[in-house]
Amino acid sequence: MKSLKFEYRITILYTLIGGLWILFSDNILHLLVNNRAKLSDFQTYKGWFYVIITAILLFFFIRRQLNKHRSLEIALQEHQNHLEETVKERTKELELNIKRLKDTQAHLVQTEKMASLGILTAGVAHEINNPLNYIMGSYVGLHRHYEENSFSDHPEQVGKLIEAMKIGVDRSSSIVKGLSQFSRKSDSYDEDCNVHEIVENSLIMMSSQIKCQISIEKDYSNSDMVIKGNVGNLHQVFINILNNAVQAIESVGTIIVKTREKESEVVITIEDTGTGIPKENLKRLTDPFFSTKAPGKGTGLGLSITFNIIKEHKGRLEFESEVGKGTTVRIVLPKINRP
Amino acid sequence: MSEKIKIIYIDDEKINVMLFQINFSVNYEVYTGYSGYEGLNLLEKHSDTKAVISDLSMPEMSGIEFIMEAKKKYPEKKFYILTGFEVTDEIENAIKSGLIQGYFRKPFCMQEIEKEINKLS
Ligand SMILES: Nc1ncnc2c1ncn2[C@@H]1O[C@H](COP(=O)(O)OP(=O)(O)OP(=O)(O)O)[C@@H](O)[C@H]1O
Ligand SMILES: [Mg+2]
Repeated sequence: MKSLKFEYRITILYTLIGGLWILFSDNILHLLVNNRAKLSDFQTYKGWFYVIITAILLFFFIRRQLNKHRSLEIALQEHQNHLEETVKERTKELELNIKRLKDTQAHLVQTEKMASLGILTAGVAHEINNPLNYIMGSYVGLHRHYEENSFSDHPEQVGKLIEAMKIGVDRSSSIVKGLSQFSRKSDSYDEDCNVHEIVENSLIMMSSQIKCQISIEKDYSNSDMVIKGNVGNLHQVFINILNNAVQAIESVGTIIVKTREKESEVVITIEDTGTGIPKENLKRLTDPFFSTKAPGKGTGLGLSITFNIIKEHKGRLEFESEVGKGTTVRIVLPKINRP
Repeated sequence: MSEKIKIIYIDDEKINVMLFQINFSVNYEVYTGYSGYEGLNLLEKHSDTKAVISDLSMPEMSGIEFIMEAKKKYPEKKFYILTGFEVTDEIENAIKSGLIQGYFRKPFCMQEIEKEINKLS
């Protein structure tokens, strides 16, 4: 009985009571009432009695059942309200956490940039000292010429000295420009980014890292390749990838930088003849803190940040690698990343 | 007039070489090359060279590698490094071990280098 549903229970009960009543009530009435004339009156009372009793029974029965439902509903409602509150609370917490995470990420990007800037400083210093050396050489020569008339027999020397000074100034100014572009802090992804200029800048800044035995081959597309993006962050992309390529080459090797322009995107590939990446590592390259380098040599943040920057540009980052042969990193960037 | 001191200068950057040539030719007899290999050839041709000055970072053969090779054949000659880098461990070790006589910074200082070379005459 207990396992039966309410509607079955009440129907069975009603049928049972009705059936029993029909079977026995008349017999009982005949036993009790002998007066034939009064019998039909009693028959009517009996009918009323039946109706009232079943009505009362039904009332209590249904009420009991409904009460159960009502309290359940109230409990449910309360639970729901509570749930909504909890969800709201959790959402707020989550939102806060996401904001914190975003702040941290932005901070991390900047910190990593500054860290790589630290590593790059030595290279840049050397790179600037070279054109400064031209200017100094030119000064020394011209000074001597005006003091001692050293080159009056060879006036073409004076021309060379002046030319060297110009080259020195141009070179150092382009290095300084590259540096300030790299360290520039901006959130805009709508800046004009000259891909070739950024790649060249990155190579200059990497030059102290690029060991003597590594030769750089360039295969640039003839077009201008100016895209919309964030200049500073794109520098970081190329520096991180070039840095990995340089670190992957143990002694002698080649790095090929190739650029191609397509209809709506540009493709930059950086290929190295380094150690290569085992298959099982390929999926994890962009995981934060994934690194196979000795502690202190790599934080494992380089590619994770690179990936995020490329994602912000609505681009793609792809790896192809063979252990012992080398690695090809392909960067695909849309020319306009915000439709 | 006494004979000019012979010196050799090696640097992979053409402009550095040209300027060195112009400036130092006034007082010295200067031979220049763009790589360690050229430096070794020059040493063979001009065996009476007194001093060799070399850039540090060059493709294929670094300045230190070139000097190590040259010092084996010509231990009596004086070698110097001229570089845009701050003193590195490599340079420090080279000075300590007597491989090089000293090192000059880029941008170069004419008087400093001349003083060093004139000690040799
Ligand atoms: N060109 C490559 N050749 C071989 N292995 C690579 C190459 N690029 C990346 N890797 C592998 O991917 C790992 C993660 O690279 P990632 O740049 O994220 O970190 P990292 O270079 O170790 O440290 P850092 O934070 O200093 O860049 C590297 O440790 C290395 O094992
Ligand atoms: Mg890295």
